[in-house]
Amino acid sequence: MQTLFKNIKGDRLIWAIVALLAILSFLPVYSAASNLAYKGGGSNTFTFFVKHFMHLFLGFVIMYGVHKIPYRYFRGLSLVMIPIVLVLLGMTMLQGTTIEGANASRWIQIPIVGMSFQTSTLAAVVLMVYVARYMSKIQDKAITFKESILPLWIPVFLVLILILPANFSTSAIMFLMVIMLVFLGGYPLRYLAVIIGSGILVLTLFILIAKAFPDAMPNRIDTWMGRIESFSNPEDTEADYQIEKAKIAIASGGIQGVGPGKSMQKNFLPQSSSDFIFAIIIEEYGLIGGFVIMILYLWLLFRIVIVAQKSDTVFGKLLVLGVGLPIVFQALINMAVAVELFPVTGQTLPLISSGGTSIWMTCLAIGIILSVSAKREEIKEQEINEDNPLEILSEAI
Amino acid sequence: MAVNEKGILNRLYFIAGCMFIFGIAVVFKLLSIQFLQGDKYRALATERVVKDVIIPANRGNVYSVNGNLLATSIPKYDIRIDALAPSLKTFEEYVKPLCDSLSKYSGKSSNKLEKEIRKARANKNRYYLLARNIGYSDYIRLRNFPLLKLGAFKGGLIVEQTTKREHPMGGIAQRSIGYERFDEKGNVTRAGIDGAFGVKYLRGVDGKRKKQQIGKGQWKPLSDANEVEPQDGYDVYTTIDVNIQDIAHHALLEQLEKYKADHGCVVVMETKTGEIRAISNLGRNKNGYYYERLNYAVGESHESGSTFKLMALAAAFEDKLVDTSDVVDTENGILSFYGKKVRDSKHGGYGKITVSKAFEISSNTGIVKAIDQAYRNQPEKFVDRLYEMNLNNDLNLPIIGEPKPIIPDPRIKNGRWSGIALQWMAYGYGVSFTPLQTLTFYNAVANDGVMVKPRFLKEVKEFDRIVEPFKEEVINKQICSKETISKLKQLLKNVVEKEYGTGHRLYSENFSMAGKTGTCQKDYRNKEKLNYISSFAGYFPAENPKYSCIVVIHEPDKSVGYYGADVSGPVFKKVAQKIFIDTPIVDEIETLNISETSIENEYQSFYETAQKYKTIMPNLVGIPAMDAVVLLENMQIDVKVKLQGNGVIKSQSVDKNTKLKSKQTVVLTAS
Repeated sequence: MQTLFKNIKGDRLIWAIVALLAILSFLPVYSAASNLAYKGGGSNTFTFFVKHFMHLFLGFVIMYGVHKIPYRYFRGLSLVMIPIVLVLLGMTMLQGTTIEGANASRWIQIPIVGMSFQTSTLAAVVLMVYVARYMSKIQDKAITFKESILPLWIPVFLVLILILPANFSTSAIMFLMVIMLVFLGGYPLRYLAVIIGSGILVLTLFILIAKAFPDAMPNRIDTWMGRIESFSNPEDTEADYQIEKAKIAIASGGIQGVGPGKSMQKNFLPQSSSDFIFAIIIEEYGLIGGFVIMILYLWLLFRIVIVAQKSDTVFGKLLVLGVGLPIVFQALINMAVAVELFPVTGQTLPLISSGGTSIWMTCLAIGIILSVSAKREEIKEQEINEDNPLEILSEAI
Repeated sequence: MAVNEKGILNRLYFIAGCMFIFGIAVVFKLLSIQFLQGDKYRALATERVVKDVIIPANRGNVYSVNGNLLATSIPKYDIRIDALAPSLKTFEEYVKPLCDSLSKYSGKSSNKLEKEIRKARANKNRYYLLARNIGYSDYIRLRNFPLLKLGAFKGGLIVEQTTKREHPMGGIAQRSIGYERFDEKGNVTRAGIDGAFGVKYLRGVDGKRKKQQIGKGQWKPLSDANEVEPQDGYDVYTTIDVNIQDIAHHALLEQLEKYKADHGCVVVMETKTGEIRAISNLGRNKNGYYYERLNYAVGESHESGSTFKLMALAAAFEDKLVDTSDVVDTENGILSFYGKKVRDSKHGGYGKITVSKAFEISSNTGIVKAIDQAYRNQPEKFVDRLYEMNLNNDLNLPIIGEPKPIIPDPRIKNGRWSGIALQWMAYGYGVSFTPLQTLTFYNAVANDGVMVKPRFLKEVKEFDRIVEPFKEEVINKQICSKETISKLKQLLKNVVEKEYGTGHRLYSENFSMAGKTGTCQKDYRNKEKLNYISSFAGYFPAENPKYSCIVVIHEPDKSVGYYGADVSGPVFKKVAQKIFIDTPIVDEIETLNISETSIENEYQSFYETAQKYKTIMPNLVGIPAMDAVVLLENMQIDVKVKLQGNGVIKSQSVDKNTKLKSKQTVVLTAS
């Protein structure tokens, strides 16, 4: 244990926040799992507990491993990863596993482990690192819009388009995050306007195609069209049902909550252990529980800003922000959905919701942040001395 | 493009600020749901998730006075199959054996059944009916058939249970036992005893249990105990005697069929208590079959005809205006009042006869004349006398649908009174009673003037505990003087006993009956529709009456007969006769435990001998052989006894006072 703590580098507070979130996550996940176990028939809730523990354990292994990697390697890695991610996304779209009857081609089976893996989550991290790399690379150059299309926007749009059919909200949020990151990186605002415009254009085109050939993409378009419609229109829909249950959960929680495991709405909320876990947390632990979670995420935001501030390279800053802000943003979106501030999106609450991919990728991102915060001193020295093959590759492009 | 770190940080602060504001917005929305909309959603939480489930109470049973079940609730089952639930493999494997079993159960051909079930599967029928309304044992049988045995998920078995009210006695007294039925709108029909006592006793109190939803369509009980425990309904013990009911039912049925009558009823009532022992109401349906349709005895009021003559004379005797020995002139059988004629059934009349004979031969003119002479100037007095005998009141029965009796009153302007109302009333027209109301009066006469209310209930029980016993209810302690009663009783007895009496055909040497015939015209205003109501009311035995009984038969086929004595009389007789033949007579023996000195003495000496002689041979000569054997065999030594003959011991092979040896044989000779 002692040696482990000695080996832990980087922002200790981020470590603490993440650990705290991970520990807290057991309570609602274990509670919400009872509904899954009940529906699943034979299996008991403890399997879910063990599964969640395994996910988190693996996540921490990833985080620990990643934070040991000097962050400059990520530049090159992202370059290598982009084509891999594109292939994976293509595979996912073609062979995607159906989950719980919904035709959401988001998962692929990992052959040996037998686990399902949501490729879009991995793609998000890789893409953000890639964008951060590009933005840091052009930091000192004056760049025209045309110049940025091929190295920046082509990969971005390729990834997004491959995710779009199966998961509109994820690709929309990723798009938003990319926009945010390039904005942070000082990309000219007028170019941004063009990009946002073309993004909307692509989306419209996509919807039109999908409507024209409904067989190609059954269900999904209707689902997310329905979700957006239901948010703006008062009639009862499936999403309304979920939102109503979520609000009932929040209202019944009161200030102190009804107590661990005593949530009633977990039985009715279809995604009680992932998408709507915030509502379950409030029902069981009240406003107090909700505020604690909220404060932890805002504190994480604060720490990310601090790490970004302290990082002395532009790539470090953008890298931290690129992978860090989406975590907090996703958390806020998840909470906003539960309180009906945002349409139902299917975004998980990072680190708390059950679901392996989400936890691992969050840990990966946190690991990157920790790597930046841990190595900022060393990197300064090492950057001068070392010639790394990936570095050379990155510089060349 | 110049990117400096300060620029990044400034933009970062902007974005972080936005996110922070977003977070604050979430918090505000959270608080607003919690506090502003909180009550609404908290109410929704319980409304959507917790519901009261009614646990129906078991309805009580209805028993006869002898403890036979008359009405009870039993579970019934509908068995269906979800033809799509079994997998193809399972379906193919079991469909044939299933159809074989079903074929044995229902008698339908197995091939046809298989065809139908296969068709159901092809049509994706998930609710294919196999059997409807079957009892528990059949349900158990079906549940174990191939395929169905696999249960709901693998075999597609669907079982729906309902509770049905059954009358184990079948059609007998069905209407009086009755039912309580609800239609879809919740309107309730309550017939007979089951209907009348449903709310108060039989129904019980439904229980309630809060259940919480734990998923779509899944409910679990919220707490261990029920919020309201269901309270099963009480059992109702009626006064109906199944044996008498059976006799009455079949006697009536036979007569209705013989006379092709429209409908009829019989009521048998215990004289002292007013307990209804039998009530049978049979009506003819379109196909000419008779079954319990309406409760005519309770609900159908009709003009009484001659049976009312008893009430008329009771009033006149009581007012001492007429006596049995008064002579009236029947005037060739026709009397005229305001141009309306009263006729006797015997053409030419009976000449001058006594009032008592006029009653016995049921002379209309005779009775009308007597009443006319007595009350012509004071009809109110006649009516008041009838009132005093409680004839104007209904019986206030629990069974609904009893109309009030009709008695015209000169002081009440309701169109019923007229110049001839008194005279017509005298022989039973213009007045209207239900059979049960008429019977109540006859029963009062039989009961020496004590008018008791007809009763259907003996007691209400919860298992063995009596919840509410019912005692006889006296309507009128003495409807008229004993003297009047004895005159009326004599008249009723003579109707059967005297050779000229209208009821003489019922006469039997073996037991006595008393009663009055009634042949009443129905729909007499239209000659073409003219029909008859034949009735007989009375009691038996004539002395110390035990039961009173009324038989009313409507619209007998005129070509077969219509006189009360012919149509209704035989039912009365059959009921009376059978009750006395079929019902065992109870004789009480009071002198069972009287001790006889001789027996006592014999026992005493036997006991002494048994105590004294354990190993030594006693003197057995002179005592009964059986006693002697018992004495020897009960000795301490094992002696073999040989008995020759029976009776009293004459001699014994071993002398008295000799010591006996083990296994020694003693020969006793008796005669």
